[in-house]
Amino acid sequence: MPSLRPSPRWILLLITLVVLLYGVVYPNVDTIATSLHHDGHWSPANYLALLSQRLALEAVFTSIGVSVATVILCALVGIPLAFLFERYSFPGRNVFATLAALPLVLPPLVGTVAFIFLCGESGILARVVQRALHLQEPPWSLRGWGALLLFHTYTMYPFFYVLAGAGLRRIDAGLAEAGRSLGARPLRLLFKIVLPQLTPSLIAAGLLTFMTSMASFSAPLLFGGNVRVLTLEIFTARQRGDQPMALTETVILAAISLVALLLFQRYEGTRKFAAAAMKGAARRYRPLGTGSTRLLAFIVGVICSVGLALPVATLLLVSFARDGQWTTQTLPPAYTLANYSRILTQRSAGEVFLNSLSMSAIAALAALLWSFCVVTLSMTMKRRVSRRLLSLLVLVPWALPGTVVAVSIAEAYGEPSLLLGSFILVGTFWILPVIYFLRFMPLVVRALQASMEQIDPSLPEAAGSLGATWWQRFWRVTLPLAGPGAIAGTLLAFVIALGEYVASVLVFVPTNRPVSIAIASELRDFNLGSAAAYGVILMAMIALSMIVAARLERSASV
Amino acid sequence: MPLLVLHNLSKRYDLTPAVKDVSVEVERGEFFGLLGPSGCGKTTTLRMIAGLEKPDSGLINFEGRDITSLVPEARGFGMVFQNYALFPHLNVFENVAFGLRARHKPKSEIAERVALALDLVQLPGYEKRNVGELSGGQQQRIAIARAIAIEPALLLFDEPLSNLDVTLREETRGELRELVGRLGLTAVYVTHDQEEAFALCDRISVMSTGSILQTGSPRELYVHPAQVSVARFLGRNNLIRAMRLSAMKSELGEFKTLAGGHILRLPVRTAELPPLNQPCVLAIRPEQVLISKEKVEGENAFAATVQEIQFAGATSRLRLDANGLIIEAFVIGLAPGVVGDSCTVTLPPERIVLLKE
Amino acid sequence: MHLPRKERHAGDSRSQAGAGTLLLATLLITLLLVACSSGKQSATHHLLIYTPHGPDLLVHFVARYKAAHPETEVQVLDIGSRQILERIRAERNRPQGDLWWGAAHTTFQTAADDNLLATYRPTWADKVPASARDSQDRWYGTYETPEVIVYNSDGVTAAEAPRDWDDVLDPKWRDKILIRNPIPSDTMRVIFGAIIWRSIKDTGSPEKGYDWLRRLDTNVHEYTADGTFMMQKLARREGLISLWDMPDARLFKEQKGLPVAYNIPTSGTPVVTEGIAIVRGAPHEDEARRFYEFVTTTESLVQAAQKFYRMPVRTDIDRKQLPPWMNEPFTRLPLDWDVLRQQGDDWLRYWDTEIRGRGSRH
Repeated sequence: MPSLRPSPRWILLLITLVVLLYGVVYPNVDTIATSLHHDGHWSPANYLALLSQRLALEAVFTSIGVSVATVILCALVGIPLAFLFERYSFPGRNVFATLAALPLVLPPLVGTVAFIFLCGESGILARVVQRALHLQEPPWSLRGWGALLLFHTYTMYPFFYVLAGAGLRRIDAGLAEAGRSLGARPLRLLFKIVLPQLTPSLIAAGLLTFMTSMASFSAPLLFGGNVRVLTLEIFTARQRGDQPMALTETVILAAISLVALLLFQRYEGTRKFAAAAMKGAARRYRPLGTGSTRLLAFIVGVICSVGLALPVATLLLVSFARDGQWTTQTLPPAYTLANYSRILTQRSAGEVFLNSLSMSAIAALAALLWSFCVVTLSMTMKRRVSRRLLSLLVLVPWALPGTVVAVSIAEAYGEPSLLLGSFILVGTFWILPVIYFLRFMPLVVRALQASMEQIDPSLPEAAGSLGATWWQRFWRVTLPLAGPGAIAGTLLAFVIALGEYVASVLVFVPTNRPVSIAIASELRDFNLGSAAAYGVILMAMIALSMIVAARLERSASV
Repeated sequence: MPLLVLHNLSKRYDLTPAVKDVSVEVERGEFFGLLGPSGCGKTTTLRMIAGLEKPDSGLINFEGRDITSLVPEARGFGMVFQNYALFPHLNVFENVAFGLRARHKPKSEIAERVALALDLVQLPGYEKRNVGELSGGQQQRIAIARAIAIEPALLLFDEPLSNLDVTLREETRGELRELVGRLGLTAVYVTHDQEEAFALCDRISVMSTGSILQTGSPRELYVHPAQVSVARFLGRNNLIRAMRLSAMKSELGEFKTLAGGHILRLPVRTAELPPLNQPCVLAIRPEQVLISKEKVEGENAFAATVQEIQFAGATSRLRLDANGLIIEAFVIGLAPGVVGDSCTVTLPPERIVLLKE
Repeated sequence: MHLPRKERHAGDSRSQAGAGTLLLATLLITLLLVACSSGKQSATHHLLIYTPHGPDLLVHFVARYKAAHPETEVQVLDIGSRQILERIRAERNRPQGDLWWGAAHTTFQTAADDNLLATYRPTWADKVPASARDSQDRWYGTYETPEVIVYNSDGVTAAEAPRDWDDVLDPKWRDKILIRNPIPSDTMRVIFGAIIWRSIKDTGSPEKGYDWLRRLDTNVHEYTADGTFMMQKLARREGLISLWDMPDARLFKEQKGLPVAYNIPTSGTPVVTEGIAIVRGAPHEDEARRFYEFVTTTESLVQAAQKFYRMPVRTDIDRKQLPPWMNEPFTRLPLDWDVLRQQGDDWLRYWDTEIRGRGSRH
């Protein structure tokens, strides 16, 4: 939309600047400033101290190593799955394709519980293997690099799966055909044509995975064993009460993520990509003709999907298991509905779900509206530097661990401040929606940006030539075309916010107590079954909202 | 022996047949056309020749070898796509060199052949350009250069000119014909544009709803369309529904038009005769219709009124009403008379074609 | 040409309608929520409690308190004790919470030193020993928790089970011990602290204590992230031995039905005092005092003992009303809590950097 008239553009600019100033710049400047203070003076002493500690340095490199390994593993799992489900048709394709995205919506706290019950050294799988092979000792332990990377891969490969799948749907199938007609064999085709065309999607996925992995805390805490990563060091420093060191390590963590962002963006800018498929060979799912390949794809699809759905099934199992009975058996020996009746009879159970739902919805919708501002603004920006700066600032909250976002907001708005006057955000209902918004809006912005960039610029222009004003063009043309992408991103933000824990626990108040706190509370009291029951209900709600969103998406993409 | 033989090719998508029993023979050095309206199965046929689709049944022979299930990359055919399918992440050189690299040609040879191919399409020195910077016509030429750089055994075109504007299209058409002829290549060319097919092709198969209706040189097809749909598809035609009157009296068949009740005589071979008292279709090209202002006696001549005159420069088109039978006629230069004039229409017997439905 | 355009049109308005519905629904939910929260404002008294106690105990006492004081709206923030400390620290300029119920007395003492707690002298102040209260009345002990050696009673017989701290270093427990990560855990900090303090007391240096931890490290199967997971893993026999507190071990054994048992170390065990305190500048201090007194009556303490395995600190309780196991005698390990509090971080840091996970390499 090159011909944006001044007035809407100024409004967009104003909204964007205000949100960035309040949500990103001000709280984080505070953090950086604190990290640069030592004994009341400006000094790099904290950084020097950190550099002199062998373990802190080790943590920095371990974090980078874990994240790079996570990105590689997620790519190795996610991309082939995307190919399998996007390119071929076989019985049950749709069901398995949906199941494959499941880990994305597994709520973090109960997700780890399910994972431990399934894959832990006394988990179902280990017990099955142990029984089958008559082993004295459990066949594996869920600790260290292997366990950490397994969990990271399981929870983060959907970034690759979903984004590469979307990318594959976009590429012009004719390019691959042209390559084949020129004599390129499948591997050459993959590496010279298809993967280069997928690059934007893969870069976006890689970046999200890298940042998520850098900021990952529960997984190294629970499965890391002796693997020391930065988030754990930050946690330890905070437990020690060493606030300056915690902040310094946080700044370093964020800096690494942002440097990665810059590197990725740099690469993204050097290549040209086909925007939209033209007429020609219509892409269709290639039916797997011969019996054996069809069967193979079906089997691979089944194995992957079942494997990926197992933790969810485990969660369901635990929610019906009688607490304390399940010790050395492979599966729980006794089942009960007591876990559900226990939480459903609590008055607070209804409240926590209502709280989580409304706060996530508020945050996700605000993120959607704001994303339109940012993306529209970014598309009208002439200078590349300012565009880069904008997308960098937008991504800062994603690059920070959830704890850090919560702490910086709480610190910045915990007392009367320059920006908010006498209004104190901390202690109100609104603090959680605000934090959810900040943490997850980068997802929405990214999703929307991807779909907006695909809109043929001649369409809004055509609308303009028909006399539509800027707002009309936006409502009647841009919004409906960008609809599916926007809905997908918003839904993702909504779903992740529903289960958010690490930031919530620091700043929630009784009026906005979210589900995750209720789950944590049950876990502290060893009520694993009740915690799982909360998780199952949460997942049912997530499934419901995904169905609703799928309806919306379908009607939006006529 | 023909270079390429398609034998009873069939292909369905889901349950709808896209191509039914297509059989074609293409000679070496021939420029062969597949002509038909969109959705007639011509592109699917071409894609099966390229190997991009697998036929459900039928055989494809090339140089006497069965290549039906050979993968496309092993066929060595060059293909030019409707949307050009240039690789957007590669520059012009890399695009043209793509097929050569896939064949692991030495660097020097690649450079030489890319330069030659770009020369041939009259875009020398464009190697370093990004394909996004090129105009439609230039992209088209790069796509052709990319296809001919691999010295294809067969060159396949999928409506390559349809995205160009009219003047550019006619210009490129001429160059393309000249280029293919000069390189001595065999080409299969898919188009829905009859004029383009006539201008380019040595022989053409006319396709409709997945089947080949008629194959022949452009002239044969134009003058002697075998079927109503071919006659209708190739240029304007007067299609006259009529009934055969009687048994053979002379070498001329005798028909009575359903509209207007005129008697038409035309030479018919006994074998082609439709049954008596059954409706059939006769066709005559508008430019073959004779008009005179005077009353004329003779075979197939009858009185008519001028209903409409369309002026088109070198020619004029007239709509004539002969007692309810509407006849279209082209005349060179200005039309004789004005709307409402009466005249005599003559349909020369040797110009009338009896069509199969 | 006209038809597709028409269809797209229909699509537009439908998606707009969909988005509109979504927006509307959210607004409604928000309104409802605001209405709900303003509905709560109608209560005349308010109380906000920060507590690490789990839902079982909370639901019981809050319900009882509400029955006694229906005019009070009790709100509870149930988070870990370390998180409470951080929160109160962050809110020091504008306190939100009124009462802090539950945490090790070391944590309370840290908060008291940071000037985060208000002074309040409960009616029963002279019924607790001096070691279980702050000398300036900023916190008082409620329950006491001796630390014990826990073992899986299916995997280990009572005869085999370690009886004293040093028994767990026996090579036969190699790779059989589960230890909760001590950095965020008061219980484990106290146990590790007691070991090191013993070394300081005997030799004047923590070296022998570190050595003990190093030997423990060789036997440790896993440092678990969390107490619940630790008990879970113990019950599922990922390890056989652990160090934890007595009331929890009892609770897991009797209420949750896990196959666990414990031994009180013969040489003596440190006893952590769980406390209660009023937040400095609490917005509802009177109400906080009322609740403070309510949960520390002898009646409440006996209930906590009977139902929730909490050993009361108050000395004026009829011991016959308590479960018999609470009356079993045991040796207390004397400990200098101030040293532990001040140097504990350094000890743990040393453990974290030099000992943890290195045992197998020695």
